[in-house]
Amino acid sequence: MSNDASATRLNGAVGMAVFLGACAMLFAALLFAYAVVRSQASAWPPPGTPPFPRGAAASNGLLLIAAGFALRRAGTRGPKWAAVSLGLGALFLLMQAGLWGRLVAGHLGPGTGALGDVFFALSAFHALHVLGGLVAIALLLRSRASADARPRRLRLAILYMDFVAVV
Amino acid sequence: MTAPAAPPDPAAPSPSPSPSASWVNRVFSTDHKVIGKQFLFLGLTFLAVGGVMAMLIRWQLARPGQPVPLVGRLLFPGAGGVISPAAYTSLFTMHGTIMIFFAVTPILIGGFGNFCLPLLIGTRDMAFPRLNMLSFWTMAAATATLTASFFVPLGAAASGWTAYATLSTAIGAPGAGQTMWTVAIYFNGVSTVMGAINYITTVVRLRAPGMTWFRLPLTVWGFFLTSILNALFVPVIAAAMVLLFFDRVFGTQFFIAGSTIRAGGDPILYQHMFWLFGHPEVYILILPAWGIVSDLLSFFARKPAFGYRVTVWALIGVVVLSCVVYGHHMFTTGMSPLLGESFMVLTMIISVPTSLLFLNWLGTLWRGAARMRTPMLFCVGLVFTFGIGGLTGLYLADIVADQYLHDTYFVVGHFHLIMAAALLLASFAAVYFWFPKMFGRMMSEGLGKLHFWPTFLALNVVFGGQLLIGWAGMQRRLYDPSAYEFLAHLLPWNVWISRAAYVLGAAQLVFVVNFFVSLRWGKPAPANPWEVGTLEWTLPSPPPHHNFDVIPTVVRGPHELGHPDALARGKDWLGQDEVLS
Repeated sequence: MSNDASATRLNGAVGMAVFLGACAMLFAALLFAYAVVRSQASAWPPPGTPPFPRGAAASNGLLLIAAGFALRRAGTRGPKWAAVSLGLGALFLLMQAGLWGRLVAGHLGPGTGALGDVFFALSAFHALHVLGGLVAIALLLRSRASADARPRRLRLAILYMDFVAVV
Repeated sequence: MTAPAAPPDPAAPSPSPSPSASWVNRVFSTDHKVIGKQFLFLGLTFLAVGGVMAMLIRWQLARPGQPVPLVGRLLFPGAGGVISPAAYTSLFTMHGTIMIFFAVTPILIGGFGNFCLPLLIGTRDMAFPRLNMLSFWTMAAATATLTASFFVPLGAAASGWTAYATLSTAIGAPGAGQTMWTVAIYFNGVSTVMGAINYITTVVRLRAPGMTWFRLPLTVWGFFLTSILNALFVPVIAAAMVLLFFDRVFGTQFFIAGSTIRAGGDPILYQHMFWLFGHPEVYILILPAWGIVSDLLSFFARKPAFGYRVTVWALIGVVVLSCVVYGHHMFTTGMSPLLGESFMVLTMIISVPTSLLFLNWLGTLWRGAARMRTPMLFCVGLVFTFGIGGLTGLYLADIVADQYLHDTYFVVGHFHLIMAAALLLASFAAVYFWFPKMFGRMMSEGLGKLHFWPTFLALNVVFGGQLLIGWAGMQRRLYDPSAYEFLAHLLPWNVWISRAAYVLGAAQLVFVVNFFVSLRWGKPAPANPWEVGTLEWTLPSPPPHHNFDVIPTVVRGPHELGHPDALARGKDWLGQDEVLS
């Protein structure tokens, strides 16, 4: 790898580290708000809250983790795995949208109670960040960047998708 | 401390495409110098808007309920030119919002950060030029959203610049104005974080060979540390804006207390989230100002900056402590006394590094061969006003005093001395100092001094007067304080404060004339009109698109003034990249 490519790779790594630090503060603040709302309630979920479909939410999370693994494979097995990651990420968003629809129909939407408030605000904002990651993967697939630049950008996309999966 | 591991290739071209005749390329430029100027013009425009609002607020406080002369019927046609209570509330809300987020931030951080950073560290552009361009246009979108909010039914936001819940929720502020305010602040934050990513990466990775951490100009330290705070704490207010948006639009209750039939959130949660960002925000804005002033005092005193390393460590100390003092804004919220005392002590401790900084400025000035040019006047003015502003902060850090002074004009005077007076003086010092490098022309010294003196005197009368009426018990945000018997005797004070405010406003017209006349007819600027050694002054004025033909190799610090080797060569300064044979 040339000196220039190495320098640019490090620039990207430093920039991504700062970006993820900022994102971590953002989600930490949102989770802090969740903790406060939860601590205000007499019980959690608050009495009278319809049952929350934990299984559906967890399986959606698994889709996102799978999208992250697929993106890792793209580094060694070619761009088709990036396309698989994109598909899994898109499926995650679709499933989340479906879950939101069911929750609203089941009187667990935003504005109906503390659990609905917290779940919708945090999951919707998280979904926007996932969407940002998917746009980055789509751009990566369309990109005509040099052989040096592609793996560098892929590594940054992997870092980001890992972050949104952890969150 | 060492230079960066992989210095930039000296022969590499600018990462930003060359400007072409196309206006699209010029407007959507990725050149840090163009983006810096775009931020500067945006910030100056909104400084004027926020300034006019300040004049209107002062009119109402001096002449309560009387029609505003000249522009009253145009601005407030429904009330016959009188500022209504609702309009007044909206005015002070938008004045604070505009000044902090849309004037000082774009001028100092966006404008001078962008223009100066690559030049001062010896590189050709920011690490991520396209992200830099996106940062400006995100700020422009935020600005457009805020501006549009004036024209929606029920008008612009009116819950104070802090937008405390529940005033700012749909209960306290119906209408789209407050929602648009929330969106505008969010996107302002996105723009700021984009800038922080760029500034941090640029300083960490793109310093010229030999530009070690302790050879950085203090201006660079200021921008670098500010960017760290921006990256850490702007996301916190962004999160608050997201939740406030949800409360307003989707009916959630993060910032509305629950009841026996519905669990909810807590209005005080908003204050925690706001001040967790809000107090570092004071340092976010003042750190670049401190950096600029620390450099300029040395340049114009013709002496090395006194205690350079101590200044750097003091700045770092302020950054660390600024993360753990925010609770002093909330002493009256009923917080635990133990917690309150902790915040009080930590706040008092922050005055230690700040005092070191202040003493170093005095040390720099001591027995210097001062050249009292316009930028120096503004810097010395800042030292004075910051001294008063900082000292009055100690009163507010003390729980007992704060119980009385909270929400009075003493608080208004204190933070205006820091956030308005000191920052404005630093901004003007920076404009006068870097104008020749930005635009290739000198500003008028005579008009500069004519701008400085009334500005300096008037702002001390205005904000000093606010301290006094606050001490006398006048609360902030009252539509007509004279309507209250216990405050009626302060009306003459308010009249005089307002008169000083009008002088302050009028003095800025001198700056406007100087700026635009110099832009067109100013004397052509030489490469190094101030005879100082930082890297930007080794370039022509204005610098070429690619900044440096060859990336310089830095051999010394930024403040080599009065150096014996220089004196032997018939001058009193040495350039950072000047090799002595």
